[in-house]
Amino acid sequence: MLIQYIPTLYVLVLLPVLIGAMGYFLPRRIYQGVLLVFGLVMIAISAVVFYEVRVLGEVIEHVAGWGESVSISLRADELSAPLVLMTNVLFFAFFVFNSRAPYMDNTFQYLFMTLQCSLIALFLSGDLFNVYVVMEVGMLAVCILIMYKKEKQSVYDGMMYLMINFLAMAFMLLGLGYLYRITGVLDFVGMHNKIAQINDPRALVLPYALIMTAIALKAALFPMFSWLPRAHGAPSAPSIISATLSGVQVKAGVYLLIRMQWVFSPVIDASVFFAVLGFVTAVVGFLLAVSQKDIKLILAYHTVSQVGLIVLGLNGGSPYAFWGGMYHIINHALFKGLLFLTAGVIIDHYGTRNYAQIRGVFRRMPWIGIAGFAGVLGITGTPLFNGSISKYLIQNGLQGNLAEIGMFIVNLGTVLSFVKYSTMFFGKAPDHVKPVKDPYVNGVSMVIGFGCLAGGIFGAQAVQLFFGQGYNLDGALGAEKLTMFAITLALGIALYFGVVTRIGGFLQRVRDNKVNFNQVSLLIAIFFAFLTAYLYLTV
Amino acid sequence: MEWIDSSHLSLGLFFVGLYGVISQRNVIKTIISINIMDAAAILFLITANLQPGSVPPIAGGDPSRMADPVPQALMITAIVIGVSVTAMCLALFIRMAHRYGSSDWEKIVHRVED
Repeated sequence: MLIQYIPTLYVLVLLPVLIGAMGYFLPRRIYQGVLLVFGLVMIAISAVVFYEVRVLGEVIEHVAGWGESVSISLRADELSAPLVLMTNVLFFAFFVFNSRAPYMDNTFQYLFMTLQCSLIALFLSGDLFNVYVVMEVGMLAVCILIMYKKEKQSVYDGMMYLMINFLAMAFMLLGLGYLYRITGVLDFVGMHNKIAQINDPRALVLPYALIMTAIALKAALFPMFSWLPRAHGAPSAPSIISATLSGVQVKAGVYLLIRMQWVFSPVIDASVFFAVLGFVTAVVGFLLAVSQKDIKLILAYHTVSQVGLIVLGLNGGSPYAFWGGMYHIINHALFKGLLFLTAGVIIDHYGTRNYAQIRGVFRRMPWIGIAGFAGVLGITGTPLFNGSISKYLIQNGLQGNLAEIGMFIVNLGTVLSFVKYSTMFFGKAPDHVKPVKDPYVNGVSMVIGFGCLAGGIFGAQAVQLFFGQGYNLDGALGAEKLTMFAITLALGIALYFGVVTRIGGFLQRVRDNKVNFNQVSLLIAIFFAFLTAYLYLTV
Repeated sequence: MEWIDSSHLSLGLFFVGLYGVISQRNVIKTIISINIMDAAAILFLITANLQPGSVPPIAGGDPSRMADPVPQALMITAIVIGVSVTAMCLALFIRMAHRYGSSDWEKIVHRVED
């Protein structure tokens, strides 16, 4: 096949940044055209890689013909191949969506390509130091991109993002050094094999805690999520950047969490810790989301909540919950990307970010309204939409546990908060708001909206396609799903109108509560200390 | 005093840096503190598994006495990354100081308008 003749994985990693750099001095229109065609090529290549991984097993490429675990290697397996495909498809869709945006100049497009390159490299890299390097590259690109529309507080948001992530990467580097000193390799598989032979598990506590602190911060787990809403909901961040960050970039942290847990799995198993942490993150995320007024911040806090849900599923201890969590990664990328895209359009046309001042989206911009509402149905887990399938899988995996009740609470919170979000779709729009005419914006939103629907109707087939796991999902409209959702929806609406609308003063105080950089660092240090203590007590 | 070796030293340095990040409200001092943490991690990696009496891994030497070349090569990359991220932080700090008229995290957070 193709892969035997061309080093496909290298092409996949290097092409975005090479094409981006070579075309940089072309006129803007031509550059954009080149990148569009090239986006399709990237999707095709990653589809080929995905196919080969599914049919032939994992694809490994070593640099310069050195042997296993000595050379720098790229590795596509059942975990990373679907994520790479998802990244390429979404980056292409976001690029098309944005093709008429005024700020879409050459620098922006080049940085966007750099971000794509760093994410693909992160998913494909088989070596911890390369992961460290591409995370730093991605961090710099993201930092500039979220400040790209120079508005009010752009510098502060960028600075907070950069400093907090720089701090986390210092933890990662020291942890990596520890691991290298103990195992003598940096390759994931090599480390896994060496760790299996270690007699003293306590020697691994410190590297594990250091690396996991950095990764948990990247994945925005409790209590280290405060940077995420700042970055993802920044007023200066273009909506496709918010969509990329929430849809794809946060998943890099979750992916590394799975990878590093696997590397340490022969000796350290902290899945209970991360399951509890995921649950706490999910609950705190939606509690903070309910108190927000800014629609981008509502969505950003829901990213925190949904990532918590994914981590809970991945650490739930059963294959059902694990693959449910994996499928939720893809689903969340679709509906949260879509929600951020439509929210960006709505903010631009209404001239406000406050949900209470936005009304009548359905009437004034029907395509955006329908697509955005499909995203809402997806994230709340409405039957027929993709969120319901992955949440059903996670819930089934956690059957009979306390975690199942936790799952219900999280879902209730999501519904509650999106009842609030949905109020802006109805009613009568103010007169100054113009309808959306850009065909790319409407078209891409509708396509992703249909993606959410298709992911629900063909849920079992999608899980089979992406992960090769055949589960009986009881159809898209199972009786259990319908009753559960009806109960959740009724409770959510009742709680919203009964409680949330009456405690405005309390919510204002929650909004006013800001943390500065020193407090964030303190939370990171506390998390690290807590994780170390937990490991010393359990290992 | 045998426990004072490079790994404990760099670990100590790392936590000194972490203390600085938590306790210093001045933006420049926090940037310096993160750099201390970064330098501690680099020191740790360079001295990891270092045998006494080993020679630098440069062509022409005795291969059996050479130090492990992998961490040294990696740390050049890490140093370059650290320098560029620090440069970016400092550049942003200048913009931020002009905008909010302060270099104190606590004052800046209250001057950021929502």
